[in-house]
Amino acid sequence: MAEKKTIVKEAGGRKIVVADSAAAMDESTKGDVFVDGSHCGINVGEMTIHSGVGAMVGNDAGMGKNDAGIAALKMCDEKGIPAAAVAAMSAKIGNGMSTYEQGKVSVANEAAQKLGVSAGMSAKEAADKLLEGLIKGGK
Amino acid sequence: MTHEVHKVAKESGGFRIVIANSATSITEDNKNDIVVDGSHCGANIATDYVLPNGARGMIGNDAGIGLEDAGIASLKILEAQGIPAAAVAAMSAEIGVGQSTYDEGVISAANEVARKMGVAVGMTAKEAAAKMLKGIS
Repeated sequence: MAEKKTIVKEAGGRKIVVADSAAAMDESTKGDVFVDGSHCGINVGEMTIHSGVGAMVGNDAGMGKNDAGIAALKMCDEKGIPAAAVAAMSAKIGNGMSTYEQGKVSVANEAAQKLGVSAGMSAKEAADKLLEGLIKGGK
Repeated sequence: MTHEVHKVAKESGGFRIVIANSATSITEDNKNDIVVDGSHCGANIATDYVLPNGARGMIGNDAGIGLEDAGIASLKILEAQGIPAAAVAAMSAEIGVGQSTYDEGVISAANEVARKMGVAVGMTAKEAAAKMLKGIS
């Protein structure tokens, strides 16, 4: 099914897009900052890389076994894609707008850290930094 | 993107236990299935995927339960529709990996419909799925 997406910001030809599920990533979100309610597991890493989004912010799902809840962050780092997760206790998993409005970053990959994203930051601020960084980077 | 192919773990009386990494891959082809997946059990999993496609049961990951128990919100939504649902502890199985849910998962929460079928906290996901399959058959 086609998941609903909400554009919360547009600048420099790029967008911050919010959706409940990372499965909503598609052609229309290439190069954008995608904020979702999904965990950041390995399959979400694959979706992120294959979809061509510019950056991703999801939920850490309590980290879980073998840190599976944030496995996507390392995968994205290897492809140079900035990615971060919000703490499961800060936002409602499965609810993209909660990630965006209530989420507090618990972990950010190196590519995201280079754009100024750090643990403890609100997801909204992190998304702004990612958008700004992607525009400056021009990729 | 290409659609995820489900693995069939068990079949009985026209019903199946299928394994998927993501609940977003549930379709109408799963209307006779107990779906064991690697997804969290947030509200959207019930309203956007399990219910519209008519899946008969669901076991996912509790995602650490999280803010306002959002990680298991779909259990109550499915209970109201008479559908058995349960979650495995995030520390017992790798979220995002359906086979890990099935092979390694230990149940941390189950809705009333599932409990009536014999699913209980502490049970393996494999045993829970078998009880659901028996319960719907």
